[in-house]
Amino acid sequence: MSSSADLNTGVARKSRRSDRRRPRISGLGLALLAPALFLLSLFFFAPVILTGVFAFTDLSTSTGIGRGQYVVTPNLLRQLGDQGLTEDDATAIASVSISIDEAGIARATEGGVDPDFLSEIEDRFAGESFDDPRAFSRELRGLPNAPRRPRELTQTAEYFETSVLNTRFDNPEALTAQLADVAPDVSSDTIAWIVDRSYTGARFTTANFERLATQKETLRLIGNTALYVAATLGLFNVGLGLFLAIVLFYTPKPVTSFYSTLWLLPRITPLVLYAIMWKWFTWEDGFLPIIADQLGLPSFNYMKGSVVTAWMTMISLNGFIGASFGLILFSGALRAIPMQQLWASEVDGANRWQQVRRIILPQMRWPILFVTSYQTLSLLSSYEQIWLTTNGGPGRTTTVWALEAFTTALSNYTGNLQYGLGAAMALVLVVVGLVLSIIYLRLFKFSELVSRPKIEL
Amino acid sequence: MTFTATRTALTAALLSSVAFGAAAEDYTITVWAGGSGDNATYRWEAIEMAADLMEREAAVRGEELTITVESQAWTGWDDFKQAFTLASEADNAPDIIVSGHEDIGPWSEAGLIVPIEDYVFFDSYPLNTIYPNLIDVATFNGQIWGIPQDAEARVMYWSIPALEAIGWSADEIDSLPDRIASGEFTLYDMLDAVKKMQDAGVLEANMGFAPRVSNGPDYWQFYQSFGGEMADEESGKLVVDTEALKGTYQFFVDATEMGVVSGTHLGSEWDVWHQNAASGNYGAWHGGTWHYAQWTNQFGLEDFFNTVQYSLIPAGNDAGRANSITHPLVYLVTSAASEDEAVIAAELIAKASTPEINALHAVKSAHLAISEDETTVPLYAENRWLAAASERLAPSTNAIPNNSDFGVYWTAMFDGLEAAWTGVSSVDDAVAEVETTVKQALGDDVIIR
Repeated sequence: MSSSADLNTGVARKSRRSDRRRPRISGLGLALLAPALFLLSLFFFAPVILTGVFAFTDLSTSTGIGRGQYVVTPNLLRQLGDQGLTEDDATAIASVSISIDEAGIARATEGGVDPDFLSEIEDRFAGESFDDPRAFSRELRGLPNAPRRPRELTQTAEYFETSVLNTRFDNPEALTAQLADVAPDVSSDTIAWIVDRSYTGARFTTANFERLATQKETLRLIGNTALYVAATLGLFNVGLGLFLAIVLFYTPKPVTSFYSTLWLLPRITPLVLYAIMWKWFTWEDGFLPIIADQLGLPSFNYMKGSVVTAWMTMISLNGFIGASFGLILFSGALRAIPMQQLWASEVDGANRWQQVRRIILPQMRWPILFVTSYQTLSLLSSYEQIWLTTNGGPGRTTTVWALEAFTTALSNYTGNLQYGLGAAMALVLVVVGLVLSIIYLRLFKFSELVSRPKIEL
Repeated sequence: MTFTATRTALTAALLSSVAFGAAAEDYTITVWAGGSGDNATYRWEAIEMAADLMEREAAVRGEELTITVESQAWTGWDDFKQAFTLASEADNAPDIIVSGHEDIGPWSEAGLIVPIEDYVFFDSYPLNTIYPNLIDVATFNGQIWGIPQDAEARVMYWSIPALEAIGWSADEIDSLPDRIASGEFTLYDMLDAVKKMQDAGVLEANMGFAPRVSNGPDYWQFYQSFGGEMADEESGKLVVDTEALKGTYQFFVDATEMGVVSGTHLGSEWDVWHQNAASGNYGAWHGGTWHYAQWTNQFGLEDFFNTVQYSLIPAGNDAGRANSITHPLVYLVTSAASEDEAVIAAELIAKASTPEINALHAVKSAHLAISEDETTVPLYAENRWLAAASERLAPSTNAIPNNSDFGVYWTAMFDGLEAAWTGVSSVDDAVAEVETTVKQALGDDVIIR
């Protein structure tokens, strides 16, 4: 009895302890989180999952996004001819027969063709057959009651026509039936093969990843992207942001707020306007080239005129936007440093540089972590500024992964947009982003930041 | 009694509304036109004119027909094609679209457009007057999908003052187009000539030769100049001629090394290019017949015929030929149009293709006629530039193939050109890369030579 009571207390004690460790799930909390979870799944998980699915397809403009149809075209027959379709089979499938028989008349009557016109067709052509639809249409046009509109005429002609070529079927069964009708001598295996190949929609494939893994271009894109992200991040987003924050930290307050606002301008200027300003700034007859000309320095279109200046332009114009982000965050973090530490260091005779090195920087680890990881991810996926300015040029020297994914999937001169390949490229970015996030979190020991405090408050 | 009267009245009202409904037809037709600047407004205005004509014809027949045409013009191509394909997927596409004929391949396969041959008679006026080779350009998979909206030729332009400055006689300048057409004067002869202009101080460095600044069908002309063929005539398959590609890329690399064009010329600005072309700052440059309208209307070129010589794109070597590419735009009816709207849209397009209406576009935008009859329309016939271009250039033009896979090849070819031109990779590597990319993407559907 007593032992069992002890046991019970033991269980109770243990369970209380585990209660404290395990976060309690409350209904209210879930209800409050629900909108956020809904939005998260709608705007993050769903796109990522769709990208993941599309990445394994050959989706493009010519396959369409929705369900495809089944259509046998002359081009398809030609392709199949290369892969073993016999000439006889191809000819049989491509054949068109037009016969003016009772069945056709019945179909036309049911379809609502003008009875007068129909009786003329019957009187004039009953029992005849044609093998060229255009010739038949011409004959029909000669009849006194022929409709005025070409479309009505071609539709009437179609009721008498048996063919499969260029007709779109919604399901494989309908095409199979029609093929068997048009070309009864073709074996059912061949018909099944043709039906399978006639599908116009997208198919599942790993070819996108094989292509990315084997093409040389991939290496160049990776190199460009790494250089772009590292340089923009190191020089501007973190480097310049931190430098400015520290400089402003030591300057008198009225000046600080003015300069902070000034540095925000690139971020609050609409992107397209900002891109145009940079063009005005760097193009021939623009601000910089004119000044360079006055100073006797090489003066040309810096944005597109040479590989080095194109890179400098691209990194700077992105960097000035990013620098303001670092500036705000670092300024806030600096104010959190207890002033007493700085006063004490001054009493000990520390100069500004020593204060920065020994007091400020060690306490800026978390903000630097945050800016680095956040900006790496946003730079990896950003292409708009590049697209609007260098557009990956000159040549393809400043093309980064995200821009290439965008042009492949969504913006292409020839109009055949390769959604599948673009999605595969985007998926690679998502995976790289996730991996980098994990590395950053480990590197900066993020778990320490969110661990329970060592003293209870 | 009252009940009967009411019922009769009701029936009469119903009948009259049905009768009215049958007689009065009301349509809204939307038109999107790509690559259309200030000079190309007739791409959609022609549809508006056709609508007016159709309404009048209906009135004469005693029918009531109202057609409202809503149009959108797009200056670029990339965003236009993106917008159309995405709008189609979202069931939001226009009824009529004006785009390059090469879009027929992918768009017809995806079911975004319908074959116009089901809606119009090609053996009736005005479609029976259209040049058969233009109809071929609008044909894919044995069906006619669109009606050619314009035609053109791409031209090598030459600065007459600059040629004179390096000692060319008037005879030499006059006979240049013929010498080019016969293959006697080649692309490398051109490089030598423009290099001389630069050395003589007539032109600034890198200004001797000014190719098109962006991707376009133009660069396939150079491929043809070095003996390349885009598609095999017999099998219809695309052809990658590695020797011709090497010749093309090497030509641009050589031009850069000679200092007559900059290594980063691609991607520079159209306006700057137009301004320089119109101001005679280039020795030789290539563009389209339609650029004439831009230079004379917007960029202040006054005395075109006395300052600019024009010819085909010269041959590159013995394997190639002097040539020019035409890139007709086509009117297409989309699957977004309901059956009734498609009927009206197709008839509007046919009406808009009458010689008089099309001549307005041709002359205003300096494009070539789509039919023999159009060349006899006084407005067109009186235009010296169009008459000259029709005579000297049009007969030697060919079009890029209608093949839904051509886009892959086109992109790879242009990427290779950029890579070689900017010196990012060697000519051999760039060609090998094109070969690999195209082979990988298209497999058996491409012939590698």
